[in-house]
Amino acid sequence: MAEESVLKNKFKQGYAAVFYEQWPALTGGLLLGLFSILIVAWSRPWGIVGGIRNWADWLFYGLGFYPLRPENPFLFSGSVMDIGFLLGTFGSALLAKEFAFRWAPTLEMIKGLVGGTLMGVGSALAIGCNVGAFYTPLINLSASGFPMLIGLMIGGFIGLKYLLWELEKFPSPAAFVPAAKPGKKRFAWKSVQPYLGALVFLGLVLWAYVYAGRAFTEIGGLLLFGAAFGIILQRCRFCFVRAFRDPFMTGEAGIAKAIVLSIILGSLGVAVLKWTGVRPESTYVIPAFWGGSLFGGIIFGIGMVIAGGCGSGTLWRVAEGQLKLWAALLTFATFNSLTTTFLRSTGWRQKLGRAVFLPDVFGWGGSLLFIAGILLLWYLLVTWNEETNKFTIGF
Amino acid sequence: MEDVKADETLDARGLSCPMPVLKTKKAMDNLKSGQVLEILSTDPGTRNDLPSWTKRTGNEFLGEKQDDGYLRFYVKKK
Repeated sequence: MAEESVLKNKFKQGYAAVFYEQWPALTGGLLLGLFSILIVAWSRPWGIVGGIRNWADWLFYGLGFYPLRPENPFLFSGSVMDIGFLLGTFGSALLAKEFAFRWAPTLEMIKGLVGGTLMGVGSALAIGCNVGAFYTPLINLSASGFPMLIGLMIGGFIGLKYLLWELEKFPSPAAFVPAAKPGKKRFAWKSVQPYLGALVFLGLVLWAYVYAGRAFTEIGGLLLFGAAFGIILQRCRFCFVRAFRDPFMTGEAGIAKAIVLSIILGSLGVAVLKWTGVRPESTYVIPAFWGGSLFGGIIFGIGMVIAGGCGSGTLWRVAEGQLKLWAALLTFATFNSLTTTFLRSTGWRQKLGRAVFLPDVFGWGGSLLFIAGILLLWYLLVTWNEETNKFTIGF
Repeated sequence: MEDVKADETLDARGLSCPMPVLKTKKAMDNLKSGQVLEILSTDPGTRNDLPSWTKRTGNEFLGEKQDDGYLRFYVKKK
């Protein structure tokens, strides 16, 4: 009898550790790095904005603003990755009983719309978001990741300055909408969530099978990879915004450090894939070095702090039910689509920058050392700041 | 953690990261040493953010309580 309950307890603890408790940032970082290599080996690098722009393109095409028909969202790699990401996050949130429609006060919703707009414009200039213009390019040895890093830091700082100012000027009232009238008998949604979550994951696997059955195995795989990224980010509550905001706000550097290690790991793996010719060298080498990356990064950085989510962060919070980020996603996608179309049709897209493949400049080994070197410098800076709080303005 | 008497209550429900922690900091500034602040939040991230901030600033995190659709956190000023 006693042995049975000990086993049951151990199982409960294990289940809770994986499905209920938040995963450590470092775990998330290493998993992200690993999956970033695997997805390149499978098909293409991980990105976020391509997919949501495709959806906005469809909206504008449907409204008659765009003449050209966009790619099929169920066959376009970027879109499929994002669908997988949203479903993976949704399932993960359900399993952890963390899904809930969370309303926000009016000021917060406005911040969602404004932040999303800035992110839309910024990501059009940088040709990507925190993932597509910073994280993934560095892993793919694109020099454009570095001006984006700097831009995000500057933007993050400015965004934080705004929040601190707003804290003084507008002590916004909280807005809580109770789920139902108190005392009224309510259906226990919370206890149903894990079963819904399991259904979502079953659906994802089945959908990948359907893709494979129609000779679209690669796309089906991207659906699952997208889900994997979503799960990792949601379980860790992995927030790139924190990496750029927290060192200034509270001094904490946990996420920044995890990202550094993640990129170093990812770049090693992808370098091997490119060096051996499995993937073309030009893959994900973004032609935004360095004006587009820097200025796009600054604008994006401001937007992400105000919205409370970056590219990936917005998506996983959307799937958790945070309505402020739904507003952000709306303006993010639409403004990215409009700005990108504008840049393309005016030819200004060429002015954003050049594609610079680091091994062309430093050689393979040199590039990896250079990337690791710059990132470790960042690591040291934030770690030093964690102790001394020299750059912390929040407190 | 059963019966914690809060000296002040901060309602941060509906606010998302980083607002709950920023507002907590502001509210704590107005407390006297030894007083307890109660924070109400709907943001799941607060569960890790708040204890983390509390520890970093030398305050004492007393715990959290589940309520109907939101959480109550208790922080004691150093």
